[in-house]
Amino acid sequence: MKNRYMHFIRILFLGINIFSVAGICGFIYFTTFRISTEDNAREFIGQVAAIPKYPQAICAICGFLLTVLVVDMILRENKFQENGKGVMATLGVDFLCSLGIIYMLDFNYNGVLLLVAANAVIYIKDRRWTFFLLSASAMIFLVADYELISVTYNLYSVRSYIQYYSGTAQQFLLGAYNVLISANILIFILYCVNIILSQSRDIEEAKKRSENLQTVNAQLKHYNKMTEKMAEARERNRMAREIHDTLGHTLTGISAGVDACVAIIDENPEQTKRQLELVSKAVRGGIKDVRRSVSELRADALERFQLEEAIQDMISEINSLAGVKVCFHSNVKPLKFGEDEENVIYRIIQEGITNAIRHGHADCIWVDARKEEGIFKLKIKDNGVGCKEIKKGFGTKHMKERVNMLGGTISFSGENGFLINAQIPIRWGEEYD
Amino acid sequence: MKSKWKKRIPACFIVLGIIGITMFWKMHQGKTVLEFGMFTGSNWGVENADAFVIIDRAIARFEKEHPDVKVEYTSGIDREDYSEWCADKLLRGDMPDIFMVLDEDFSRYVSLDVLENLDSYMENDPEFQQAEFFTKALEIGQGIGGEKVQYALPYEVVPTMMFVNKTLLEKEGIQMPRKDWSWEDFYNICQKVTKDTDGDGRLDQFGTYNYTWLDAMYTSGGTAFDSKNMTVDFTNTGVVESVKFMKKLNQLYGGEIVTQEDFDAGKVAFMPLNFAEYRTYKTYPYKIKKYTNFQWDCTTFPGIVSGQNVSKVDALLLGINKDSRKKMLAWEFLSELTMDKESQMDIFRYSQGVPSFKTVAESKEAEQIIQGEMDPEERVIGGEFLCEVIENGEITPKFYQEQMYEQIISLANTEIANIFEQNKSVDISMKILQRELQRYLNQ
Repeated sequence: MKNRYMHFIRILFLGINIFSVAGICGFIYFTTFRISTEDNAREFIGQVAAIPKYPQAICAICGFLLTVLVVDMILRENKFQENGKGVMATLGVDFLCSLGIIYMLDFNYNGVLLLVAANAVIYIKDRRWTFFLLSASAMIFLVADYELISVTYNLYSVRSYIQYYSGTAQQFLLGAYNVLISANILIFILYCVNIILSQSRDIEEAKKRSENLQTVNAQLKHYNKMTEKMAEARERNRMAREIHDTLGHTLTGISAGVDACVAIIDENPEQTKRQLELVSKAVRGGIKDVRRSVSELRADALERFQLEEAIQDMISEINSLAGVKVCFHSNVKPLKFGEDEENVIYRIIQEGITNAIRHGHADCIWVDARKEEGIFKLKIKDNGVGCKEIKKGFGTKHMKERVNMLGGTISFSGENGFLINAQIPIRWGEEYD
Repeated sequence: MKSKWKKRIPACFIVLGIIGITMFWKMHQGKTVLEFGMFTGSNWGVENADAFVIIDRAIARFEKEHPDVKVEYTSGIDREDYSEWCADKLLRGDMPDIFMVLDEDFSRYVSLDVLENLDSYMENDPEFQQAEFFTKALEIGQGIGGEKVQYALPYEVVPTMMFVNKTLLEKEGIQMPRKDWSWEDFYNICQKVTKDTDGDGRLDQFGTYNYTWLDAMYTSGGTAFDSKNMTVDFTNTGVVESVKFMKKLNQLYGGEIVTQEDFDAGKVAFMPLNFAEYRTYKTYPYKIKKYTNFQWDCTTFPGIVSGQNVSKVDALLLGINKDSRKKMLAWEFLSELTMDKESQMDIFRYSQGVPSFKTVAESKEAEQIIQGEMDPEERVIGGEFLCEVIENGEITPKFYQEQMYEQIISLANTEIANIFEQNKSVDISMKILQRELQRYLNQ
């Protein structure tokens, strides 16, 4: 709708200019021959300051320039719309044509310049150029004024040709001439207002869009939080189910077994003994289950995050506990390996930190991961009490098993705090990203 | 699409080239046509049957010298229609390359930028000798205002002279006035001849007919018109003295209006007459038609003092169209008409004016031509005398628009006639007139 309206204004603009220029030429030509047939030439040239020396030539040249102008505009509209150089060239031709027309009409009509300026505003995307062309056109429009130039130069005037006619005809022609000039300026203003309006409309739309974007963004953040919370809740539910299904089941069994033991212990100690052995077996089974559950939970962290993130996550969680500080340093970028490798690394770090806190009572733990000669070296050291003898059950056996499975080695040292030193040959050839 | 255009553009150039070559060839095929704008008849209000002869002879000579040139002119345009014809041509953009410029059109053509500036042609043409022309005549073709640009060259010059009724003077026992006579001599003669001859109580013999304050002004040493600044000054001493003299002269006639009939009946002693009229009425067949019942001759105008015997000089000008494409050729034809001895002598032979070329005007041959037309016993105005009159002459003031000059003269005439009729004080009336004219000019 907007575009069609603009299109209409532009066609009207062009139409008025063509009508004005052709009208003035035709009028001068027609009046010249009227004067000459009515034998009033001598009287007429006695009253005017100048005459167009070749009325036919003026008509022909103006007609030619108008045609060039129209063809030029059509070409630009249809062919060079996207071609910057083409637009500039056609605008240049427009400009020259309009100057030619103004000169040929002895500055009686300079409205063509407005048409060119209007086109320049629409087609030139560069603000500086638009500004330059507009101000140049405005300057020329002001300077190329009949009243101004006729002070120094003798110019022919359409008004003196109009004055040749008598009474009503004269008034009518003068009115038409003035209306044409005013209409041209009016359309130019309308055109400019339209451009300004459409631009401000565009700006408003962009503003609205950005506002919408912000709202959506905020909503997204909110959803994100909610999703996180839901995930947490799901996790909690899963844990509850897990505990209920395994521990609950085992504990129930144990409780029933112990009850049975209490009931028969006085009468049949042998039976009780066997029963207790069963209970003990169930408890061990329970412990195994718990371990399995916990291990499954932990693996979940790795599933959700990358290794480095998972480690960082774990460390920051521990750091948040008062009195313990874990420093993690790695020169391997990215910290990304095969799934089994990642699992092992994660477990060793987790177990090491747990041991350092639980058994070594350390408050400072250093974790250092590096790649040396194609081997991934992990060192976990703390400032805890350490131990003279490496006792089993500190999870060291587990660690050993895990590392061995990957063909690596692990050593422990309890002097001067506790030190875990693991060397794992990684399958570096593969890329993980 | 692009390749289509690539093919079309060279095609366009080829077509344009063919058109251009054809036009060039057409233009250079055949003779160059030089258009000449002229009117038939005399510029000085007298009959002239031989108007074409001079031009035709000049064209024949010119075409002989330039075999590839043909000079064309439209014949049959009267002197009265010529100005309109020119204006029409001008308006249509169809002005001839070279044309006669009437006195009344000159200022307008200069302001409309129609005439070519001839200064550079005059400087560059080795054959052009400015001193050969009458200075006054050249002045007529110079630009308005202060500029001394030559826009047109004089072809034929005509001074105004004073017609003297010799028979009347003889009857009254008065001698023919001398060449350097003054207003006083003039007034005295007028006073003597103005009388009632038939005794009916009404004056029927007069001193002057058609002698106006303008004629007096030219001989007064002052002028009311400042062409340079385009102003008028009617309080100028010369102008005031002229009007006072005219008032005195008018009072002699006691309110009687002198008419052409009185003059034709031989009852008026003096009348301004231009040289063309002089030559026409002195020669056959007009000498047996007009002024047959008395002897007459011409002399200078009386001056405010002896020696200030100035008369008005008019000239027929020739100019070149500024937009002509054959300006050099036009200049050559202009030279042929204005500077060629044969052409200039033809003015004496076939026209009634004076050639603008001084040496021709002064020549013995010229005198013989004039003498040959007249009765042997007539005193002929000699070349030397003619040149003196022309060189001492005064030209019509040039104003921006001819109408403006005419309007000023008309306003002044009315006011001066009022002074005579109502016997007003000249000094005061002229001041009032000056104020009124100033107001008119400022409009």
